[in-house]
Amino acid sequence: MGSRALLMLTNFNFKTTVSSFGSASNPFFLIKNNLRTRNFSTKTRSSLQPPDLPGLAETARISLAPNEVEEFAPKIGQVIDWFGQLQAVDLDNVEPAIRADTEGDNLREDAPQTFENKEALIASVPSYEEPYIKVPKVLNKE
Amino acid sequence: MASTLFRTIQIHPFLLYPTALFSRRNGVLYCTMKSSQTQTATQEKQQPPKVKVPQHALKKTVDKITRDYEAIIGIETHVQLSTLTKAFCSCPYNYGSQPNTSICPICMGLPGALPVLNSKVIKFAVKLGLALNCKLSLNSKFDRKQYFYPDLPKGYQISQFDIPIATGGYVDLDLPLEFGGGHRKFGITRVHMEEDAGKLLHSGNGDYSQEITSLTSIYSYFSKHTVDLNRAGVPLLEIVSEPDMRTGIEAAEYAAELQRVVRYLGISNGNMQEGSLRCDVNVSIRPVGQSEFGTKVEIKNLNSFSSINRAIDFEISRQALLHSQGQSDQIVQETRLWEEGAQKTVTMRKKEGLSDYRYFPEPDLPEVILTQEYVDSISNSLPELPEAKRRRYEKMGLSMQDVLFLANDMNVAEYFDATLSSGADIKLAANWIMGDIAAYMKNEKLSINDIKLTPQELAELIASIKSGTISGKIGKEILSELLAKGGTVKGLIEEKDLIQIADPVEIGKMIDKVISENPKQLEQYRGGKTKLQGFFAGQVMKLSKGKANPGLLNKILLEKLNGQS
Repeated sequence: MGSRALLMLTNFNFKTTVSSFGSASNPFFLIKNNLRTRNFSTKTRSSLQPPDLPGLAETARISLAPNEVEEFAPKIGQVIDWFGQLQAVDLDNVEPAIRADTEGDNLREDAPQTFENKEALIASVPSYEEPYIKVPKVLNKE
Repeated sequence: MASTLFRTIQIHPFLLYPTALFSRRNGVLYCTMKSSQTQTATQEKQQPPKVKVPQHALKKTVDKITRDYEAIIGIETHVQLSTLTKAFCSCPYNYGSQPNTSICPICMGLPGALPVLNSKVIKFAVKLGLALNCKLSLNSKFDRKQYFYPDLPKGYQISQFDIPIATGGYVDLDLPLEFGGGHRKFGITRVHMEEDAGKLLHSGNGDYSQEITSLTSIYSYFSKHTVDLNRAGVPLLEIVSEPDMRTGIEAAEYAAELQRVVRYLGISNGNMQEGSLRCDVNVSIRPVGQSEFGTKVEIKNLNSFSSINRAIDFEISRQALLHSQGQSDQIVQETRLWEEGAQKTVTMRKKEGLSDYRYFPEPDLPEVILTQEYVDSISNSLPELPEAKRRRYEKMGLSMQDVLFLANDMNVAEYFDATLSSGADIKLAANWIMGDIAAYMKNEKLSINDIKLTPQELAELIASIKSGTISGKIGKEILSELLAKGGTVKGLIEEKDLIQIADPVEIGKMIDKVISENPKQLEQYRGGKTKLQGFFAGQVMKLSKGKANPGLLNKILLEKLNGQS
């Protein structure tokens, strides 16, 4: 779980950095105000407060020891602060963009192509019982 | 709680009409014995004419309680698209393939694999959006919906969140006459593109893999969980309705209309048993006149239109009973499962709370951009849709029953249209298709595309009868041969020498022969037993091998019997 946790976090940082430019003032875990008129039930948080780290870890299915919480809290706080800087950008005269890239469609024809190295895929499955992938019984957190 | 209600209902007719009830229970109802507590009024609607008396008594009691309440029903429908490949990778998808054979790093969610959107998914989404009278978003995007479940390899589902590809439409439909008939218009909130999850199998208890995105543990008592990822990444369109439906029938007909629409469009096989069309239903009730909604309950595991209908009517009764007993606080926001065997809904998971899916724009996929020209070209290529077809058939003068039958299946409608364009009479063509041809297809378990009779020959057959070349009786005989073996009407008529005898002289000769061979009957006839005309007519028809023109035959026969020769 430890290594997985780390992976999730790196992933987390990376994705945030990349995608946030597309949706201007709308980083995903701080749905602050929606540019569109729709009103979703996602909790609104006031601007740029660091998230409740144990809660965040729980949502990501990461077990964090109290000392790890202490270790990660400032790092997450740092990420949040980066977004704080973005908030300062004046967007008054900028059209809201759906995505950062405006090149648009990169589509594929609907032509089947079988992936050849299936053995390797199956071999990498942690628990396999022909022909099924065995999975944990249930993931109950809530 | 619910059982009290249904017991009451059952006792009532039982006391009043015991025999009638028995005959109903033995003969008509198709539910199992276990369901004795849960026969709701819905089932009565399914079986209307057979036993009238208990149906009324039963309905009355339920109505008494439900009359004071209004149900609000909304439906989320997932349509699996009939593309050759998955939504974001080129893996082929075929229902029923060997488990875990149609997989690749992308649909397995392996690190570094990047999705590329199948162009057909957009095309199909635009088709459906247009068919459902929606406004299309020329610019939309994909988002990640994050949750953990073993059938979701990536830990998120690629879906569309705040900017779906289509919004604000509606669907028109006609309720079948046996359910009271009438036209309905139901709003469509949105249509969006997303990917399916894999198939979770709980060994020992069937497959409840459909859209169980819960984080709770209702399955924890099962021994073994396995997953088949063939379905992971298969494209879906999710259609969200406005909460416009009020009864189980309306909801079932809404789903049936969606099935017709996706089949007409050719974007999905719409097969509910295979899970290509899946409906999750939200039901709440409120006292009539109240404007705010009651607590809504979601129902899953609905595998047929009739289970949609029955599950909803069960749920309405259950909630109405709780209300009427002052226990409306026991109606809680929850997901309930429809149990087909027991014919009731049961709690699957409570307190859904606000699921925190932490949506954010899918960084691995570009914006979805539609040009107006693209939309227009698809719009121009849409087939005639069920609603348009029904209105056209109605204008032709067909009855609503005919209209609904013919427009229900696109292939039947095409066959009908082709028969008409070969010059056939409208009502006669409808009668042949709905009568003898439908019966043949049912017996032989064939679809209309499998039968050997072409629409052109059907038109020819109808014309031959109408013109008097062959009799209606011979027509039916020819039909069965054409259905099974093919061939042409003209060929068969010549080959079998079936041309109708419409020559008065020839018919007269045959009548003379029959009369002379049956002097006794003639005497009786002339003595006042005029019913014997039928006997003579039958004998003459037999002599002519069914070829005599019946009108002419009877006319001449009558003249001769009455001694005018």
